[in-house]
Amino acid sequence: MKRLSILALTVFLTLVLSVSVLAATEITVWYHSGQGGEREVIQDQVKRFNSIQDEVKVNLVQLPEGSYNEQVQAAAVAGDLPDVLDLDGPFIANYAWSGYLYPLNEFVTPEMEKDFLPSILAQGYYQGKLYALGTFDSGLAIWGNKKYLDAIRARIPKGVDDAWTFTEFMEILKKLKEHPDVKYPLDFKINYGKGEWFTYGFSPIFQAFGADLIDREKLVAEGTINGPAAMAAGAWFQALFEKGYANPNPPGDTEFINGEAALSWVGHWVYNQYKDALGDNLVLIPMPKFAGQATGMGSWAWSITTNSKHPEAAWKFLEFILQPEEIVKMTNVNGAVPSRLSATKLSEVYKSGGQLDVFVEQLQTIAIERPVTPAYPVITDAFATAIDNIINGSDVREELNNAARSIDEEIEYMGLR
Amino acid sequence: MTRNNKLVITAFLLPASILLIVFMIIPFFMAFGLSFTNQRLIPTPRGTQLIGLTNYLRLFNDRLFWTGLKNNFIFVLIVVPLQTAFALGLALLVNIKLKLSKFFRTVYFMPTVTTMVVVSVIWTFLYYPEGLINGFLSSITGGLWSGVDFLKNTAWAFPAIMFMSIWQGVGFQMLIFLAGLQEIPASFYEAAEIDGASSYQKFLYITFPQLKNTTTFVLISTTILAFRLFSQVYVMTNGGPRYSTYTVMLHIYNTAFKRLNIGYGSALTVVFFLIILIISLVQRGLLGEEREVD
Repeated sequence: MKRLSILALTVFLTLVLSVSVLAATEITVWYHSGQGGEREVIQDQVKRFNSIQDEVKVNLVQLPEGSYNEQVQAAAVAGDLPDVLDLDGPFIANYAWSGYLYPLNEFVTPEMEKDFLPSILAQGYYQGKLYALGTFDSGLAIWGNKKYLDAIRARIPKGVDDAWTFTEFMEILKKLKEHPDVKYPLDFKINYGKGEWFTYGFSPIFQAFGADLIDREKLVAEGTINGPAAMAAGAWFQALFEKGYANPNPPGDTEFINGEAALSWVGHWVYNQYKDALGDNLVLIPMPKFAGQATGMGSWAWSITTNSKHPEAAWKFLEFILQPEEIVKMTNVNGAVPSRLSATKLSEVYKSGGQLDVFVEQLQTIAIERPVTPAYPVITDAFATAIDNIINGSDVREELNNAARSIDEEIEYMGLR
Repeated sequence: MTRNNKLVITAFLLPASILLIVFMIIPFFMAFGLSFTNQRLIPTPRGTQLIGLTNYLRLFNDRLFWTGLKNNFIFVLIVVPLQTAFALGLALLVNIKLKLSKFFRTVYFMPTVTTMVVVSVIWTFLYYPEGLINGFLSSITGGLWSGVDFLKNTAWAFPAIMFMSIWQGVGFQMLIFLAGLQEIPASFYEAAEIDGASSYQKFLYITFPQLKNTTTFVLISTTILAFRLFSQVYVMTNGGPRYSTYTVMLHIYNTAFKRLNIGYGSALTVVFFLIILIISLVQRGLLGEEREVD
């Protein structure tokens, strides 16, 4: 009898103990391992998250960035997606459309949602539901070399409202071209090569001319990417290269740094590199006003998958890393724009009056998300190809017509309309 | 054939067969099947549907496919004869018994064993406007040659890639020709010398006919390899400038992996496979490989 009670007690204790162990819900998190600093921050965040509470235990899996998208695609097909993963902005709609992502609306309070940059929400919303929230966003503007701008007596705008107008911008380019030390007034980072940069960096030109990549309501490219405004944008862009205002084939990444270019049309990510090279001569200039004003946006963002058995536990982790203090820990190392307004206030460079606050202002006012549609991979490929050919002197009309046709063909094929 | 022998044969065949079946034969039939569907790389909410011949019909209006195919044919028509002739010349050279001939064999073969991607990256640098090739051309012409941006110029990009491809691939064909040359019995040449044949006559009436099978093999394999042109154009020009180096393989890659359209990409591979198959069969028929009978 005694033996039996000991056995019963053992069984009971084992059950109780194992239950208390099981009480910690384990979730798996996939992360694209970016720059060294980003990796250390996320590792540290996971470690602290696991130690401050015992309900959720996060297993962090870092995958190499080069093949990250392919790995996620393969896992999606095989039904092996983790609970939480980060996705590159333009891919989110495609995964949401395919039904792999869990809507976050039930977790996000209205106050929290209002605190996010509008650009982050635009990127995360697909057909009325929020599928992804990033801890940071990207910024696109013009970096200027103050030495040259002062030499030609150019006005340096303070914010989005007093940005250069079209005539002012052209006048500045013309004067800079005449400056003896300036080889090319404007550096467009063509050396990044045909790819996502062309869409990210140059679709704002089309939008500033009043065009777009696609009619976002009707999902038709014909008449938008090759409409009159787009033709004008393409022709203007091509003329910059023909007139020698920009180098169609820069041999490297150094045009702006070694003073051959006076302005550099590129994102926030060059800040440290440019700051080291130019010091106090580096100024950040908002995107110019043409017919309209536009800038790019979008970056990696976090999602919960429909494969997860514990979306609430997964959200606890996201809630943790989306806190303003945690966001700033990340953006301090990768230089990106914090995704929440309360977080920008904590950042030295992005707070109001900070050296890069133009990016925050732009993201709140003139940022246009890349088309949030499952057809995005086709749109970006078609547009980047057209841009590449336009830079190399192809007929603008023909290139944009081709892009329109190939986008519409694919959208029809995918049955999106 | 004993039973034991069969076992040994099976054991030797097994590893290669498994690899071939898993990585070549099954994927090929899968591609054939997928070409009749609208399969995507990231599956759609509607699932994959059979769409009959839609993909194949779409191909007729696909301007880029035809551009790629045209470029592929130009590449094959220029590269295959040049590379084969060049390989034969090199093989004849290194076949001469000299002190350093083994060294030169190795040197000529080295580009072939280097990965194409690495070679492409290095040649991209060489082709820069300020690169080594422009510098060389400028110095031998006494500055008359003004720098050409080879890979960004629609007229130069494809020839530049052809030149580099020949340089990279010629070592392989040279090796096959070399093996063929060493198969030719020395007695043939001795007999010819007694009859007073010149070196040119020896080449024309002994070497060349004796190399017939080798040449056939080299021509067919080079043609197939040339049609598969991908790594060079992907790394060096990405099909540009203005599609001047766009190839069918690049189009298949872009369709399937950039635009995520696996179904249509599969249809392209099937059609491309059939085109290459027909060309290889025609070549074989025309050249007529002779089997030696023991």
